[in-house]
Amino acid sequence: MKRKGFYILVILGIICLSVGIWWLLTQSAEWQYGPSFFISTGIFLLVFVAISLRWMHETAAALLGAAAVWLVHYIGGTFFPALQIINFEESMTFVDWNVIWLIMGMMIFMAMFSETGAINWIAFRIFRLAKGNAWLLVIGLVILTAVLSAFLNDVTAILLVVPLSIQIAQTVGIHPFAFVIPEVLASNIGGAATIIGDPPSTIVGSHLGLGFVEYLVNMAPIAILCMIPFLIIIGILYRREISGAKEQYSPALVSQLENDALITDFPLLRKAGLVGFLMMILFFTGDMFGGIPSSVIALSGAAILIAWVRPDMHRMLHEVNWTTLIFFIGIFIIVGGLEATGVIAWTAGIIGNLAGDNIKIASVLMVWIPGVASGIVANIPFTVAALPIADFLTATISGAENLVLYWALILGADLGGNSTILGSAPNIVAVGLLGQAGYRLTFGRFMRDGVPVTIATLILATIWLLIRY
Amino acid sequence: MGIILCATRGGEASYPTQDAVIALAKEQGDELVFLYVVDTSFLNHTAAPLVVDVEPQLEKLGQFQLVMAQERATTQGITAQTIMRHGQLRTELVSVVKELGATLIVMGHSLGPDAAFEDSALQVFAADLQIESGVEVRFLDKID
Repeated sequence: MKRKGFYILVILGIICLSVGIWWLLTQSAEWQYGPSFFISTGIFLLVFVAISLRWMHETAAALLGAAAVWLVHYIGGTFFPALQIINFEESMTFVDWNVIWLIMGMMIFMAMFSETGAINWIAFRIFRLAKGNAWLLVIGLVILTAVLSAFLNDVTAILLVVPLSIQIAQTVGIHPFAFVIPEVLASNIGGAATIIGDPPSTIVGSHLGLGFVEYLVNMAPIAILCMIPFLIIIGILYRREISGAKEQYSPALVSQLENDALITDFPLLRKAGLVGFLMMILFFTGDMFGGIPSSVIALSGAAILIAWVRPDMHRMLHEVNWTTLIFFIGIFIIVGGLEATGVIAWTAGIIGNLAGDNIKIASVLMVWIPGVASGIVANIPFTVAALPIADFLTATISGAENLVLYWALILGADLGGNSTILGSAPNIVAVGLLGQAGYRLTFGRFMRDGVPVTIATLILATIWLLIRY
Repeated sequence: MGIILCATRGGEASYPTQDAVIALAKEQGDELVFLYVVDTSFLNHTAAPLVVDVEPQLEKLGQFQLVMAQERATTQGITAQTIMRHGQLRTELVSVVKELGATLIVMGHSLGPDAAFEDSALQVFAADLQIESGVEVRFLDKID
C-alpha cells in the first residue's frame, strides 16, 4: 500500500508541476504552444519515471507511452483538435530503423556466437596466463570486458564474463566485487568506443549516418584514454583485496573452473569466427561501398550465419530479444511526439540560451547534463530525447559543425552510466548475477567505486572534447 | 538417520551456515544435501538485449558454489550431496523436500553487507515454508 501511495504522489507531483509550468508559461506573450505540448511532456515524464523507478518492465512502459500518444491524438484530437500530438504514419518516420535492424542483426549473431563457449575459454586462459598474479588477472579480465563491450555489446560482455569472474575470484580468494565492479565500469567505457558497443552510441551514430570507422576514430581514442584514470582508481580502491589473494588454489575449484571454460561447439566457433571476421572487415571498409549502413552489415552477417549453421529457426527467433526492439520503437515514438509538439525545440532554446552561442559552454553542458542524468534516470530515453536538442544546437551555434555536441552527448550518456546501479543495463545485470552467488551489491557500495570513476572520466572527456574539437 | 537440506547461494555470508549445518549433520549422523536454485527473474526488469542464454551460465556458477560447499564439508570430515534446480527458491525447496523426504531445512540469517535477504523477510519466508513443506525450518549461523 505504501508503494501504491508513493506512485500516486509521484504522478500527482508531475501533474501539478506540469500545470504550474503551463500556467507560468501562458502568462508570457511569446507563448505559442497548445495543450498537446503538455500532454506529450507528461507522457514522456511518466514513462521516464516508470522506467527509472522500475515501476514496470521498461518495454511495457515504452509501449504504454506510445499507445497513449496515439490514443490522445486520435480520440482526444477528434473532439479537441488542440490535443493532436502525432499520427501513426508521422510517428513511424521518427523510428530509426537502422538502429532497430542493427540491434536485431547483432542479437542473432551474438546469440549464436555465445553458444560456442569461446569467451569463457579466453577468460580461463587469462587466469592461467596470470600465473597467480592477481593484478594481472584483474587487469586482463577488465580489458577483455572492455573489448567485448566494444565489439559485441556491453550487456552481452557482462553476461558472458561476470559469472566466470565470480568463480575465478572465489578460487583466488578475492572478494568478487574486486573483479565484477571494475568489469561493469569497463563495459560502459568500452561500449563508447564503437557504434555497436552501447545503445546511446548506436542511437547517436545511426542518427548521424556515421560509418563504423568514422565513429571509431572519434570515440575509440577517448575511450582508451579513459581506461587510464579508471585503472588507477580501481588499483587504489582494491589494492588491499587484490594484494591479499591466495597463493595456493583448491584443485577441485580449479578443475571445476576449467570444466566451465571449455569450447562447447568447435564447428560453430569456426563458422561464427569467420562470419564475425568478415563483418568486421565490412564495418571497417563500409565507406568504400557507398556508405553501407551498419544495420545491413549486421543483418547480412546474421543471415549468412543462419544459412550456414542452419539452427532451429523457431529457437533462433526465440533467442532474439523482441522486448528490446519494442522498447526502442516505443521510445522513438514518444520522443517523436515531443518533437512534433515543439517540446524539443523549446528545451533546446533554453539550453541554447544557457550556452549563449558559445560552443565551449554548449559542449560542457552536453557532456555533464547527460553525464549526471544518466546516473539517475535511464540513459536510452534520455539520449533519444537529447538527440534533437543536439541537432538544434548544432544548427544554431557556430563552430558546432564538427559534430562536437553529438560526441559530447555520447560520452556523457555512456560514461555517466557508471555512477550508479541504475545508470545502465550492465550495472543492473551484474547486480543480479552477483546476487546469484550470494553477494548483495548495494546502491551505496556501487557508488563508492562508480562515482569517482565517472567524475574522472567525464573530466577527461571534457578536456578531450575542448582540445580535439 | 535423517536428511538435512540446506539451501545455499554461496558467498561469504553463507559460510557460517554451511559450517553450522555440516557440524549438525556430523553430530546427528544425518545425510547432508546442499541445494542451489538458478533464478533468472532478476532479468525481468531490463529491456537490454539479453541474447546470451543466461541459464547455462548461471548453472555453471551454481555448480561452482555447490562444489565449494561440498569441499567445505569434505574438509570437516563428511560427504555432502548437491542438487541444482531452476525456478523460485520457495517452490523448489518444497519440491526437493518432498522428493528426498528431508527431515530438516536449514537456512542462514542475513549476515553482513553481503547477505542476500533482509532478516525480517527471511523470517516470514521461513514460517511460510514450514507450513508448506511440513518440515521444520531451522536457522543456523554458527556452531554452538
